[in-house]
Amino acid sequence: MSKRKRWISLLLATSLVMTLTGCGGEKKEEKSDEIITLRILENDTAKQEGYLDELLSSFNEAYKDKGIQAVDANMEEYSDLATNGPYGYGPDVIYQANDKLMTYAEDKHILPLTIEDFDCYEYIPEEAWDAFRIQIDGETYCCGIPVNIQEPMLFYREDRMPENWETEWDDDQNGVADFFENWNDLYAYSKYLRDTDTSPNKDSQYGFMSSFNDLYLNGQFLFSYGAYVFAENEDGTLDAQDIGMSAGNAAAGLCGLRQMAALMNEGCIDDTIKMNRYEKIANGTYFCTVSTPDTYSLFIEKLVLAYEGEGMNEAEAAEKATENLKMIELPSLMPADGDLSKDSAEMSEDDWVSTIVMGGVNGYGISSYTEHREACMEFVNFATSYEMIQKRMDMLGIAPTRSDVAEASGGVTDMIFQSLENGNIYLMPSIKAVDQIWVPTHTLLGDIAKDPFREAVGETPKYSSGQDIQTALEKVDKDIYDAIYTLK
Amino acid sequence: MEHPKKRPHLSFPVKASMCIMGTGQLLQKQWVKGLLYLACFAAYIIYLAVMGVEDMIGFFTLGTVKGDEWLGIEGDDSIMMLLRGLLAFVITIFFIGIHKSNINDVRESDRKIKAGVALPGFKRACEIFFDKKFYIAALAVPVLGVMIFNILPIVFMILIAFTNYGGDIVPPELVDWIGFDNFKKILALSEIKDTFFKILGWNIAWAVISTLVNYFGGLGLALLLNKKCVRKKAFWRAFPILAYAVPGFITLLGFKFMFSYGGPINYYITLHGGSAIGFLDIDAGMKAKIIGVLVNAWISVPTSMLLATGILSNINHDLYDAASIDGASKWKQFIKITLPFVVFSTTPTLITSFVNNFNNFGIFYFLRGGLYNKGYFLASDTDLLINWLYNLSIDNNYYGIGAAISLIIFLITSTFSMITYVRSNAYKKEDTYR
Repeated sequence: MSKRKRWISLLLATSLVMTLTGCGGEKKEEKSDEIITLRILENDTAKQEGYLDELLSSFNEAYKDKGIQAVDANMEEYSDLATNGPYGYGPDVIYQANDKLMTYAEDKHILPLTIEDFDCYEYIPEEAWDAFRIQIDGETYCCGIPVNIQEPMLFYREDRMPENWETEWDDDQNGVADFFENWNDLYAYSKYLRDTDTSPNKDSQYGFMSSFNDLYLNGQFLFSYGAYVFAENEDGTLDAQDIGMSAGNAAAGLCGLRQMAALMNEGCIDDTIKMNRYEKIANGTYFCTVSTPDTYSLFIEKLVLAYEGEGMNEAEAAEKATENLKMIELPSLMPADGDLSKDSAEMSEDDWVSTIVMGGVNGYGISSYTEHREACMEFVNFATSYEMIQKRMDMLGIAPTRSDVAEASGGVTDMIFQSLENGNIYLMPSIKAVDQIWVPTHTLLGDIAKDPFREAVGETPKYSSGQDIQTALEKVDKDIYDAIYTLK
Repeated sequence: MEHPKKRPHLSFPVKASMCIMGTGQLLQKQWVKGLLYLACFAAYIIYLAVMGVEDMIGFFTLGTVKGDEWLGIEGDDSIMMLLRGLLAFVITIFFIGIHKSNINDVRESDRKIKAGVALPGFKRACEIFFDKKFYIAALAVPVLGVMIFNILPIVFMILIAFTNYGGDIVPPELVDWIGFDNFKKILALSEIKDTFFKILGWNIAWAVISTLVNYFGGLGLALLLNKKCVRKKAFWRAFPILAYAVPGFITLLGFKFMFSYGGPINYYITLHGGSAIGFLDIDAGMKAKIIGVLVNAWISVPTSMLLATGILSNINHDLYDAASIDGASKWKQFIKITLPFVVFSTTPTLITSFVNNFNNFGIFYFLRGGLYNKGYFLASDTDLLINWLYNLSIDNNYYGIGAAISLIIFLITSTFSMITYVRSNAYKKEDTYR
């Protein structure tokens, strides 16, 4: 009996200890001199092109004595900090476009920063900082450090320029072809190419080509004409209740898009051109197309293959591709009345409006859930230093927000920088509601682009007048509003 | 004269076990069993004290302190509180179950003692339990698994339908209980109501048509390949299986490309002088729906074919011989012999197929995602309820509304499945073909 009691006592004691242990609070890890590890979430291109490795190894080398090391967060590019962060799974430093990053800022998932403390502060224009500013409870905070500007660019092959462009397509004799300066001449040259296409199915040469269902790539047909996404309040904050896709003369801009679509094929209605543009530029079917700077290497890749197909060796092909593939800004002038078919020679200065493209600023934010705020700031400071931004530009072909790097590199990079400063880039709004703008506009732009093809098969066009387009744009405004507010 | 029922007399050990689990067993000198019950009781009390009560209260309040990472205020996580509260109730229900078994056990032992039967030791009691109630022992783990991985998420989803979770109300914002407001929105807000009923109508039509097309497509193919005149049957059967073997979404993306303006179908149309067709455009309407049905058939017919092939091989061929002698035509034989036999065997599969088609997310997500039609709220005319649910809850963060819709989908599909199954011969005449 006493033996049994001993066993019972032992069992009781064990169960009590186990229960109490199980119910105990979480053990706090003791801080020691351990190395601080920062998890960095960069975009996929930076990973693929090896820039992230370069950045991490440079940082780790520079900070090895300070006990800080940075590693790839090894997460999906768009993994949600709001979902992962509070439970300790998010990255410490995150690189994203301003709209995405500021969505996090609205709910305080990323930290406000004292931007004057960063070395890059004085080199970055206010417009770029504004993309990361947010007002909360009457106070303005900046929650990101701008790195590069994104905007749609025009890609073409230098060796596919018309031989007589200097005499026939450069009226002002400024050494730049007119079709790269204004949209009416781009339309005229595209029409010329279509009219002179002698292939049996008339599908061997096109001028300007774009998947028109993409707002980001085709925002110039709206924003150049006074459209806006969300109105700005007097204090600089955005009013998501005031949606302005139909504002100004936006309908005229989309009349121009409709005209341009008539010179393309049906691929402009869906993503077809977006998928085949690299190949079609390389084989000369498309004269020029629109894309973002980070796709430069894809165009080069296809062009190299095309040259190799013509019999060149790899080195020759690569050299010729780099020499011939040009990436420039979209033509800077659009017709004020949206009529692309007008002869540019007969138009006065008042007949034009400046092209305003949709763009974004990518930058770094620091997670509110990081345990190493100071170390994160050190990392961001390092990653936005002159050397690293220069390296990023060289490896990824980005347009930096740092004026010193942009100036030093000159060319297109500086041009993009100037466009941002001059207000020719309409930055994606930095509020959560921006998520709702894409599908309604995507649907409408694709539908308008289809209109010329409806006529071609004898169907009734849906957007035969500016008023039809205006009504459709107002419907888009309402759809966006409903998407934001109906269920609130 | 009837005497009122006498309440059974409760002995002291039973009363003791009712108050404190295990004490009755200890009084009956069932030491191990008593201590185990007592340990469970102690664990539950400690759990309640440490977190259980707090979790239960949290379930009702869903938090009172809003977090602010910038100010270092940790705040309450409403969704986690909902989950923990739910878990607390599950643990309590589990505890009540153990408590009941504890009372039953002590009562049974009490009865045996009064009858002069010796109580078995713990080891022997375990042996008796595993022997006589083996089904409980065998099913305990799977049932626990189903509870954790199936029932709990479903209950969680149901509860979310009664909150305002979603839109701007995501942590750190505090979520609240809003009763039936989400359901009212679906049925009252004009944009949502119209969209809901339009999609529901199309969804039911889609589920019925695609189930029938897939079913009879597979059956037809199986009958065709069963014909004596078809040579190298294995070779021909391999083709549909190849279509089945390719991952569904790859097939769907392939079809999307094929029907796009730059795809091969339009290429050949334009090559021969025709105009490209917008098979999947925003105004494609019926074209897109028909393509959806056919693409779904491409993916699903092989499964039906394999199933039908197996079932057809079990039909007694004497039935056909007898029917032929009676002068029945081939069509009559199909209607009177083949079809009843196959339908009888496949009714549960047919129901599964209907439910799968009703909730077929992939087809229109991959073929035609990212479009909103005029007259639809965050949806297009080919979207099924499950696609709309995705648009609302994943693309637009309206989790509460999404949960309410998924609850409605659940009610529709479960009601249909139950009614169909209970009314089917497969259920009513289970022994017919045995």
